[in-house]
Amino acid sequence: MKPAPFDYVRPGSVEEACRILSEAGGGATVIAGGQTLMPLLNLRMSQPFVLVDINGIAQLKGVTRVEGGTRVGPATRQADALGDKTLARHLPAFITALGHVGHYQTRNRGTIGGSVALGEPAAEMPATAVALGAHIEIASIRGSRMVPADAFYIGPYMTVLEPDELVTGIVYPDWPDGHLVLFREVAQRPGDFALVGLVGALEVEGGVIRRAGIAWFGMGPTPIRARQAEAALTGASLTGIDAPGVARAAVADTAPFDDHHASAEYRRTVGARIFARCLRETLDIRSAA
Amino acid sequence: MSEHRIELTVNGHRHAALVEARTSLGEFLREELGYTGTHLACEHGVCGACTVMVDGVAMRSCLMLAVQANGGAVTTVEGLAEPDGTLHPVQQALKDNFGLQCGFCTPGVAITMAAVTRENEGAGAGQIEKALTAAMSGHICRCTGYQGIRRAIRQLAGATT
Amino acid sequence: MNIHAKSVGAVRYVGSRQPRKEDGRLLTGRGQFTDDIRLPGMLHIAYVRSAAARGRIVSIDMDAAREMPGVHAIYTQADLAAVPVAMQTFFFTPIEAPVTLLADGRVACVGDPIAMVIADSRALAEDAASLVEVVIEEETPVVTIADAKTGPLVHPDRDDNISAEMGDEDTREAIQPLLDGCAHVVSTRIRHQRIAQSPMEGRACVASPEGAGEMTVWIGCQSPHLAARYIALVLGLPAEALRVIAKDVGGGFGLKNIPWREEVAVIVAAKLLGRPLKWIEDRFEALTASSHARDQDVSLTVGFDGEGHLQAAWCDYACNNGAWPMGEDANIAVHMFMWPAYKLPAYGFVTRGWYTNTMGLGAYRGPWAMESLVRETLLDKAARKIGIDPVELRRRNLVYLTDQPHTSTLGIPVTDITPGECLEKLVASIDLAAFRKEQVEARKQGRYLGIGIATYIEPTGAAGSMAPMTGETVHLRIEPTGKVVAMLSTHSQGHGTATTMAQVIAQQLGVAYEDVAVYEGDSAIGAFSPGAAGSRQGVIAGGATWRAAEMLADKVKVVAAHLSNASVEAITIQGGMVHVAGAPEMTRSLREIAEIAYGEPGRLPEGAATGLEAQYRYQPPPMTMTSAAHCCMVEVDAETGFVKILRWISSEDCGTVINPGVVEGQIAGGLAQAIGQVLLEDMPYDARGNPLAPTFKDYLMPAISDVPDFEYLHASTPSQTIGGMRGVGEGGCIIGPPTLVNAIADALSPFGEIEELVLPLTPARVLDVIEGRDISGTRAHLEGGASAAVEAVLPVEVAAPAAAGGIDGDWNMILKTPMGPQVMVAHFDTDGSAVSGYLEAPEGRQDFAGGTLSGRQVKFEMKVEKPMKITLKYDLLFDGDSMSGKCKMGMFGSAKVSGERA
Repeated sequence: MKPAPFDYVRPGSVEEACRILSEAGGGATVIAGGQTLMPLLNLRMSQPFVLVDINGIAQLKGVTRVEGGTRVGPATRQADALGDKTLARHLPAFITALGHVGHYQTRNRGTIGGSVALGEPAAEMPATAVALGAHIEIASIRGSRMVPADAFYIGPYMTVLEPDELVTGIVYPDWPDGHLVLFREVAQRPGDFALVGLVGALEVEGGVIRRAGIAWFGMGPTPIRARQAEAALTGASLTGIDAPGVARAAVADTAPFDDHHASAEYRRTVGARIFARCLRETLDIRSAA
Repeated sequence: MSEHRIELTVNGHRHAALVEARTSLGEFLREELGYTGTHLACEHGVCGACTVMVDGVAMRSCLMLAVQANGGAVTTVEGLAEPDGTLHPVQQALKDNFGLQCGFCTPGVAITMAAVTRENEGAGAGQIEKALTAAMSGHICRCTGYQGIRRAIRQLAGATT
Repeated sequence: MNIHAKSVGAVRYVGSRQPRKEDGRLLTGRGQFTDDIRLPGMLHIAYVRSAAARGRIVSIDMDAAREMPGVHAIYTQADLAAVPVAMQTFFFTPIEAPVTLLADGRVACVGDPIAMVIADSRALAEDAASLVEVVIEEETPVVTIADAKTGPLVHPDRDDNISAEMGDEDTREAIQPLLDGCAHVVSTRIRHQRIAQSPMEGRACVASPEGAGEMTVWIGCQSPHLAARYIALVLGLPAEALRVIAKDVGGGFGLKNIPWREEVAVIVAAKLLGRPLKWIEDRFEALTASSHARDQDVSLTVGFDGEGHLQAAWCDYACNNGAWPMGEDANIAVHMFMWPAYKLPAYGFVTRGWYTNTMGLGAYRGPWAMESLVRETLLDKAARKIGIDPVELRRRNLVYLTDQPHTSTLGIPVTDITPGECLEKLVASIDLAAFRKEQVEARKQGRYLGIGIATYIEPTGAAGSMAPMTGETVHLRIEPTGKVVAMLSTHSQGHGTATTMAQVIAQQLGVAYEDVAVYEGDSAIGAFSPGAAGSRQGVIAGGATWRAAEMLADKVKVVAAHLSNASVEAITIQGGMVHVAGAPEMTRSLREIAEIAYGEPGRLPEGAATGLEAQYRYQPPPMTMTSAAHCCMVEVDAETGFVKILRWISSEDCGTVINPGVVEGQIAGGLAQAIGQVLLEDMPYDARGNPLAPTFKDYLMPAISDVPDFEYLHASTPSQTIGGMRGVGEGGCIIGPPTLVNAIADALSPFGEIEELVLPLTPARVLDVIEGRDISGTRAHLEGGASAAVEAVLPVEVAAPAAAGGIDGDWNMILKTPMGPQVMVAHFDTDGSAVSGYLEAPEGRQDFAGGTLSGRQVKFEMKVEKPMKITLKYDLLFDGDSMSGKCKMGMFGSAKVSGERA
């Protein structure tokens, strides 16, 4: 199980990286932590001509506060992000989800950008970006653009990223202090991709939900925003929430697969349950409908 | 296919070599440098047998290219014991508790445990046990049923409080 | 604890948790696994494998691959055929499927090796392999057992897809009236998933040809001796020119019982190319192209009287053998060992193996484990149905020590099994009533707790009944330095045999454990044994070292007595010092004695051999039984179907425990695999014959979070062997699955029964039971999948001409028995439609009469006494100068017969 041959380059800047990607004409693949890409290379499921290592680009690392939000450099190691005080303060849902990504050893090498950009539909970080309303910052020699996370993913391991483009940042908007975190994951072993999972945030003010951002993972070809559930929750009074009803609405937006670990019906059935339970427990709704 | 001249230290020894871009760190350590203690058991990052420390941080040597370790300091299982042969506390704990059988997954297990115990130096027994157990989810052992490994974890947690 | 252990030394090593001798090198990265071998001029191999499950190879284009720099050779079967190879089973009988090292014109499963690329590095070999273009004319594959029954022939030259068959459909008619008369009749069906054995080190082989005929082979195996014998036999190599070395092997579990196609191909290619070659199986190959295990479909029906006493049982067992099994297998052991621990008066079965276009069947820890799974889960189901406590149901039926000797319905004698005693010890250690109370309370809160208990016995330490199952030899010596060296044929793939054997030697000889070195893992030392196979090393090698150490101690005493002018009885050896009773000033070190024994023959007793050596080969009783009872407690999450194991207690009787750390390690490892089988592991195939779990992301191995802390009770009833050990290698993997399934079924009992157990019990399948609907899609899959895409096989038209010249006279006849082909001369005399005659084989001649001739068909019966009393029923069809047909051999099933006029 050895990779097919490739050239390796380690650019020192975003500009240089973009130039290499452009010149490669689609034959280049970006490696950051490599925790998902390296298995694909070893199995020869990915056979690029050029591997572009972005670990040497300082500007792609680290967490910074930006206008109205927090920007995470794609080459930031997952383990570093887990211990980051800014993220802990502003994006508790991000930290909760990240704790479920891979294992200690893979988080030590794996990056936020790698997880977000590869778009595994059952992974935590793409869904977290969708749920929290993040934007993906993309650069190429043609210029730069921002893509909302829920428009970024188009299929399993497929995104709108063009072959000459590089993810240069993930910008998560601020949620107000004291917002509530939704997170549930059903996986057979720690570190496995989810059979079904959900992540989200709720802004509550005066007993009323002002804003809801929720996404599923493992429930379709991409991370899936629970739009109907978000709509049902937004503006709802905490005392009047029909958790099972909202959960059904949430599941209505999904399109899960069958595989030998779980059927689509299992994912829908259990998805509705963990959604309802997560709502009840997070909102402390004592009189369950 | 590009080739790259790299320099790195392994267990404190300096090495320079010319490597193919595609060569993983694990394969490089084994094939080029002869550190055969690092075992490649799945080569897709799940089993953990190939875990080494790079600059003190435990990671999969099958999921990293040798060229990416350029300038780094690698610690393999051969580098855990003292030069006089005294076992590292994690090696001793595994031995004391029948924490290995065939020994194929063991090098990675020992490296992870060494890294985690160092990162948690001074922490309480509960925290050390929790951290070690959580990190062990990144290793597959087919022989032991993890019983001895868990006992070794308890010994290490107790020993450092 | 151990009545056999004579008090020879002050230190009681047997029974103590001595640190393992293997650990020093394994913990420091200094082990020597096959991939650690580097030889000058060594080249590397990658296989080109079939992506199609079934079809004809139209072409293999190797031009581009051959032109790659660094590629030394690419071989196909046409090249390897230069060295004749006849693959055999673990039992040294022929493989019946037309297996070749590489595909020979056809492929019969995905992963079938088609070509081998030999290059400077593995990466280059893989590069070239990817350039080899194979065109296959694909055919619809036969994937499941159901497909095999109706589908096309997996091997076109065979009569049907039945690879092996034993038992007798006719016994169903005999058992049915008994079942009809029972107060309670309980049935169950289990579909056991396919398992990938998955030792952490995959298969591996380095072959180094040396000179004209010599060869050294490093191989991942379970016994270098067995591997050497196998390689020599299948290749026709002189055994004395072959050395097999396997110092460290990263797990075997039955997969590495024998070298298989890829390893043998490495050896053949090394001969052809004259260079050292290495092949290291990668994980993708290990999961998809190593032999698999289990994949069974079994139904069991059992009748009980009103008080829950067993009355009769019938079992129908089927096992997917794949295309190229490491031995066609109907798994007769399932039936042999299903009931010896229980008082069951009547049992009948039919058991079959089926060829399919999937990877072949191999062994896996407790290959017959289905007997415990199907019996113990049925017993719990029966307990619920009858309304009796599951422990009480077992008490009424188990064979306790007071019931022995006892012989099972199928003739298996038991004289010292203790499943009932293990159960009592287990039950005494847990508060069942308290658990039941807690269970009731928990259910009120919507929490579902369950408890499962299972009992079993296990045949271990087999010797003398089947070709490779033999005794063990130890060569033991005290060096002139006073240190002890043992040369053994044992092999550890984690078993710690160097440790346990050193403990026995140190104790029996009276030396320090640290002063004993054990050498194993090399066919050049020791003598033939199958190593780790059938839970035998502790029993047999343990007995051999036990006796050899006593013999050597005796020799030391004779020498010491002579030197001290004392009586032999006055001499004791303790801690490496030789003492004379009542004369402490005459104490000598073993080193002093050894120096004299080796270097000063004149000081030895007259006629005594110089040196201090002993050799002993131990032939134990044919079989030694281990017993156990286990208990597991679980909680099932009714919302998600997840199972959490709360507690697990093992109460086992493996006789003398040499090292509790090693014994408990074996049990725990087996239990972890059991948990994997029940909850996680699965190697399913799709309808096109593609394996669906080709990586460890898809094939779920148990992790630390899946396995609880096990608790142990040791009964330690000494066996009949020297030392009193009983085998313990496989038990956890046999008793574990029913224990866990029973606990889950108990937790789910408020919702209903697990009517048909389909493994693994994924969360979705658990929800199926809880909600009474097909959430997992399992039913839809099983009911929809079987008939799809498979054309029915047409009956073969039989040639018509009658037997010209009659059948009278001698015929050379071959009976293909499960133990290998049996050649004999058949003589027939006809008188109208009456037939008589005799069969003559090297073992003797036996007459028969009362046969019938009808057209070209002859039927006759013959009673035989060996190996057991059975009636052979021949049914033969004559066609000119040839004949064919079958012979029904009672419980051993049907054997094919063919012959020609002599």
